[in-house]
Amino acid sequence: MFADAKALAGAIQDISAETAACVSPDLPLRANLSARENIALIPLYQKSRGVAEATQLAQALLDKLGYATIGDKRDPDMTPAERFVAKIARALILNRQRLIIERPGAMLYDIPYPAFLHELSKRIDEGPARWEVFDFEWNKILYS
Amino acid sequence: MDLIINLVERTGAKALAWWSSIYSVLSFLGEAFATLAMPATWNRATLDTIIKQIYFTAVQILHVYLIYVVVISWVIISITLSTARNVGLFDQATEMIIRVLVLELLPFLTALLIALRSGSAINTEVALMKVYNELDALAHCKVEPMRFEFLPRIAGGVASVLGLTIMGGVLTLLLAYLSIYGLSASGLYPFATTIASVFNMKVLLGLAVKCGFFGLAVTALPIAAGLETPKKPFMVPVSVLRGMMRVFLALVLIEVLSLALKYI
Repeated sequence: MFADAKALAGAIQDISAETAACVSPDLPLRANLSARENIALIPLYQKSRGVAEATQLAQALLDKLGYATIGDKRDPDMTPAERFVAKIARALILNRQRLIIERPGAMLYDIPYPAFLHELSKRIDEGPARWEVFDFEWNKILYS
Repeated sequence: MDLIINLVERTGAKALAWWSSIYSVLSFLGEAFATLAMPATWNRATLDTIIKQIYFTAVQILHVYLIYVVVISWVIISITLSTARNVGLFDQATEMIIRVLVLELLPFLTALLIALRSGSAINTEVALMKVYNELDALAHCKVEPMRFEFLPRIAGGVASVLGLTIMGGVLTLLLAYLSIYGLSASGLYPFATTIASVFNMKVLLGLAVKCGFFGLAVTALPIAAGLETPKKPFMVPVSVLRGMMRVFLALVLIEVLSLALKYI
């Protein structure tokens, strides 16, 4: 979806957190946890998995996304792309029907992000069928 | 007339602000106790986080704490023994040391140490989590901040105050014995008799309850203050200042109430 700032904010507000997992600049990683711990939190607390199993699931997801080495890094030590991948993995492990990526340009400001998003989505063969990107109208040209 | 209206308005605003703070602390505590009572809270993940908190709050400072207890206890035991000798009450010195140092001063100083070291850190961390939307992110992932972030800190704080106070108390009793009887075993019976006469069930329960309240004060009040922080980074120091003032007032209030209940 492409819209101006006001319409985008309205559309994002209407998204139900029950059915959609969001990757947003407004939903940061927990700063004192590593990327792997941030992802493992979900199976640990929400699905009552054991620590070892939750950690394994988190690492497997990072491996699949092609960022196996960021597992031990904390938020301030990650590059924008690494941070974004950690957020994507956290959203994927939620296993909700939709994956919403909100204002990717605000998170991936130092790389050509449409191509990066496309590349990442190709590495995931399960989870939400469609990645939905909510971006500003004036960035539409970047996706063509 | 304007002056009076202004004064009434300002007093009213202050009273409302106080009430709102007290209400937010009480509602936070209510939520914490409700979460504590839920069986789902007590899983491996929560227990692991509580153990981690006890490590950060108590184990990491154990050597510093024990040195601090030895120094304070040795000074106060020496003063008490010397004064008791001068006024002819040396027989009562053991009881005085237990009542003043072990039952009152040590728990208070332990809580103060944990408040300064961990309470201020907790307040800052929660305020930063609030300012930078980390709590919203956890809520979006359906990881309840109360279960993951707050309750382990409160449980860890209570267990740490209680555990450190017990260790400090035992060390103080040992120092008191050595100061009064030296290395001789002849004082064991009278010393044990005095300890048994002071530490009856009511006193032990009172000490445990007081330590529990101290533990709650040094953790729950900083968390509640952090949660009240507006989403502006420059408000974080103000939040810590407010939180630590509340902790100090609460510690003094708990100590005064405990003394009043025991001795008045």
